[in-house]
Amino acid sequence: MTLAPDEDLMLQVRDGAGETLGVLFDRYQTPLFNFYSKLTGNRTLSEDLVQEVFLRILKYRQSYRPGTPFRAWIYQIARNARIDHFRKFRREATFEPEMLPPVLPTDSAQEQQEVELLQRALQQLPEEKREILLLCRFQELKYEEIASLLGCELNTVRTRIHRALQELRKNFRQLAQGTLLKKAEAAGNIPPRGGRHEV
Amino acid sequence: MKCEPISELLPDYLQGSLSAEQRHTVEAHLEQCADCCEEAALWKKLSLLPVDQPSPESRERFEALLQAYQAGRSNQPKGGSEWRKRFASWNIFHWLRSPLGAAAWSAAVLIIGIFAGLQIANSKSSSQEISVLRDELTSTKQLVVLSMLQQQSASARLEGVTWSTREQQLDPPVLSALLHTLRYDQSVDVRLAALDALSRHGRQPQVHKGVLDSLQQDQSPLVQVALIDLMLEWRDRDAAHRLQELEQTPNLNPTVRQRVEWAKSKLN
Repeated sequence: MTLAPDEDLMLQVRDGAGETLGVLFDRYQTPLFNFYSKLTGNRTLSEDLVQEVFLRILKYRQSYRPGTPFRAWIYQIARNARIDHFRKFRREATFEPEMLPPVLPTDSAQEQQEVELLQRALQQLPEEKREILLLCRFQELKYEEIASLLGCELNTVRTRIHRALQELRKNFRQLAQGTLLKKAEAAGNIPPRGGRHEV
Repeated sequence: MKCEPISELLPDYLQGSLSAEQRHTVEAHLEQCADCCEEAALWKKLSLLPVDQPSPESRERFEALLQAYQAGRSNQPKGGSEWRKRFASWNIFHWLRSPLGAAAWSAAVLIIGIFAGLQIANSKSSSQEISVLRDELTSTKQLVVLSMLQQQSASARLEGVTWSTREQQLDPPVLSALLHTLRYDQSVDVRLAALDALSRHGRQPQVHKGVLDSLQQDQSPLVQVALIDLMLEWRDRDAAHRLQELEQTPNLNPTVRQRVEWAKSKLN
């Protein structure tokens, strides 16, 4: 059995079959939630924004036109919902790192530690750089789709991705060096084994 | 080899959309350049970042939203699907063929004709006449909106509301008609569209008050939620009081109640 394309389901929603939106919700809830959570670092806000996206789909379903790629359309709505939210509540515009795991210099396998450092390096990026990496790497949008989403040229998308990667590398390297230093410090503070018992 | 030419190819290399020859060029560079190699490695590692899972309540909230939507739809008059389809396939040419469209089109042609005639007859006072004609054209458009808002068919009323959004300034009678539509139209879609149209004119006190007063009257959860959002956007002074009143409404839809709580948290 093949799955119905998103576009066909959305046309059904547009023509009044609201219950079909449940299938699209199941397909997009987690990617959208991750888009928001990795962008804002706030779980509650991310869940609110996902709900807002689906409310907007219901409200503006008549504006969906046959032939429009649904993925690009829903991310356009998702971006607008976030922009509108931050316009209304400016105070929350900063990144809230409630979802970041602590980076421990010890007790962690190297790969796990690298992933955690990478997560931190990503969060240190300016929002527009973080967003473009999330869109192409996690949401798997094609560069053409990102260009139309951001309203820029295809080459601009390539340049922005490369600049974001460059900055990510610098952040990552800095964090990795910091963690190595912490490790070295921690190792230096450990007293020699059995030292206290020496007479 | 310098990084500059390679860095232009790197994003496409990472997406796997380069030709074999270009791919070899990039790979040869990556073997020599530690920075570019590290960037490519980080790109791959990005896929290892954990996927965050939304809470199970998220699905429940969506279900409640959907139920609210279905409840709103069932309040609509029968035969709605027909006009919905009509509206979906509506375009300017369909509209121009309709009797109302033909009337508006004729009026526009007449005004353009008068304008051209006056241009030829007296080119000196043209700027004054242009402004008079522009005013006339605006009034004609607004008359069309007023007439469409009174149509039997919901799609015609929806078109009327859409037309009203094309004007920056609206005359008081058009604003009153839109407020009337927001308050009394049977179709949820038309009321939502009227709300969107009115949201552009919130600085006018009578619109601000008229729109927010409808919060207590509207029974559609979708419209109620949109009104709550608008109230926050407008930073209404009485927002807390209005929300409290709404919260006390018996049998308030759960989604609306949730939205009220969310709005209250934003106010604090």
